[in-house]
Amino acid sequence: MTVRGRAQRITGSVTFSAYWMIAPAVLLVAAFTLYPYAYALWSSIRVTSPLLPPAFAGLKNYKAVITSIYFLRAVRNTLVFTVASVPITAILGLLTASLFNRRFFGDVVLKALVLLPWAIPLAISGVVWRGFFSSGWGAFNALLYMAGIIPKYIGWLTKPNLAMLVVIAAQIWTQFPFATVLILAAMQAIPEELYEAAAIDGAGPLQRFFHVTLPGIRAMLAIVVIFETLMGLTAFDLPYTLTGGGPGTATTVISYYTWAESFKMLNFGNGAALAVLLAVVSLAMILAIIQFIPKGALIGGEER
Amino acid sequence: MTRGWGIRLVTYLGAMLLAIFILAPLAWVFLSGVLPEASILSFPPDWFQYGLMDANYKYIFTGEIPRGAVATATLRTMISQEVRLVPRAVLNSLVVAFAVMIVNCIVGSLAAYPFARLRFAAKTPIFFIITMSRLIPAVALAIPYYLIVQRLELLDTYWALILIYSVLTLPFTILILTLYFRGLPEEIEEAAQLDGCSPFQTLIRIVVPLALPSLIGTGLFAFMLSYSEFLFGLLITQSIKTRTLPVILSTVSWNPDVTWGLTSASITIGLIPTLLLVVPVWRYMVRGLVAGGVQ
Repeated sequence: MTVRGRAQRITGSVTFSAYWMIAPAVLLVAAFTLYPYAYALWSSIRVTSPLLPPAFAGLKNYKAVITSIYFLRAVRNTLVFTVASVPITAILGLLTASLFNRRFFGDVVLKALVLLPWAIPLAISGVVWRGFFSSGWGAFNALLYMAGIIPKYIGWLTKPNLAMLVVIAAQIWTQFPFATVLILAAMQAIPEELYEAAAIDGAGPLQRFFHVTLPGIRAMLAIVVIFETLMGLTAFDLPYTLTGGGPGTATTVISYYTWAESFKMLNFGNGAALAVLLAVVSLAMILAIIQFIPKGALIGGEER
Repeated sequence: MTRGWGIRLVTYLGAMLLAIFILAPLAWVFLSGVLPEASILSFPPDWFQYGLMDANYKYIFTGEIPRGAVATATLRTMISQEVRLVPRAVLNSLVVAFAVMIVNCIVGSLAAYPFARLRFAAKTPIFFIITMSRLIPAVALAIPYYLIVQRLELLDTYWALILIYSVLTLPFTILILTLYFRGLPEEIEEAAQLDGCSPFQTLIRIVVPLALPSLIGTGLFAFMLSYSEFLFGLLITQSIKTRTLPVILSTVSWNPDVTWGLTSASITIGLIPTLLLVVPVWRYMVRGLVAGGVQ
């Protein structure tokens, strides 16, 4: 056998190995990504109510969804929720990461604590926060009352604006640990020499932060903001268990509305149309994320 | 050294505020689980007037009805059998999460190795489709997933949950393992190939033993995601045969017959696995992610 023939045989068997090794994962993901998408698209243009015979509906479902007052409210709520929670999450993550970037007494314990809100199932965090802010016996009311700040208990979850505020706070609570982890990683990757050079140039702590740290973590901050925006736009577990979308529709966000439309109202066609809209917006976000990931960072350059 | 003092003061003040923000809601839950109902509902609040009790936990595990519940509630019993499902729900969640972890370790490392080391057509697009597929919101997939599971006649079985959670966790596992495998020294693998090892044999004999910490980390991460998942659990499970912890806790918490004390005790029980896993997950996974992602 010639050298080249042998090389080809090896390359061929390696390619074969590659395909069978990725096959289980690819098949699983494809079956549960491509088919569901095709299905959602298909049912979004059809009448699929358990009460009516199936029929073609064209874009009627989309029209019904977009012009619904509940949809517009859900969009508004989602935007308020996202626009309020994302910047605060990023800033709190940045502050916490800055805190952890220097050593202090008890930092290891605090690092483990910070992970807690992230590790707790979101649905359970919602229940925890509902109990904490209960108007009848919640600890938040009790503590404020004992401190003499409020004369009587406040209905945090029964007033629309306050309820939204609590959901936003809870979202920040569950999301900032992950932001902290990512930002801290980026901070620790900044070469020490840059700080030393800045110090020699006479830069104070604040100047070092703005001229060395911030440029060094800019890319990671962008990833955090986009990721958190995605988390905000698609939040479901937390509003479900914290407020159930209420009071009224005050905290009904898009994901929850989509769920309710499909499984409470059993309006699968509208639910599917909503799902497709949601997916399109998310895909746009995903493409934005990819733009921010340095080329070749994930799978490596062509040299391999 | 006034500046040093200032920074130290800000550091400790920040650390304290952070600890309060994180712990306050949780502390209330842990405390409420051992407080008598009368203390929780007291106004002005006096949480420790009747001491602490283990009646809530006793009821969940043995069915022994807390005395306070019978004595104080004349109109309704303020107690529900539903909370007694919590231990079983924890078991369901643990079984499913463990199975998902195993699937992730096997299927994930099989797929990650070719992505990390081998050359084949359409590698980059396949990798991107797999890793990005999970960023699509779950609720958009809810109806089709339900119909797939229904058609496979897997409704209300562990298999359905294991299947779906594997699909949800695999992309992330593959991403992290690919990054990690790529970071391993290539020379040993090349030597193995020269000795006639196929890629699969190289993976099993060389790469997996070397990457064991990362494999454990991603496995644990998949475990935690499965343990936490709510939406599909709500959708696919129909009875306590398979209901997972987040699903049961959600219904318990909305049940007006369940006191906050009982709900709190249920939450505390459900959080034990999470609390035990937080540090190992951090040690194995987050560091792996950080090491791989930043380079």
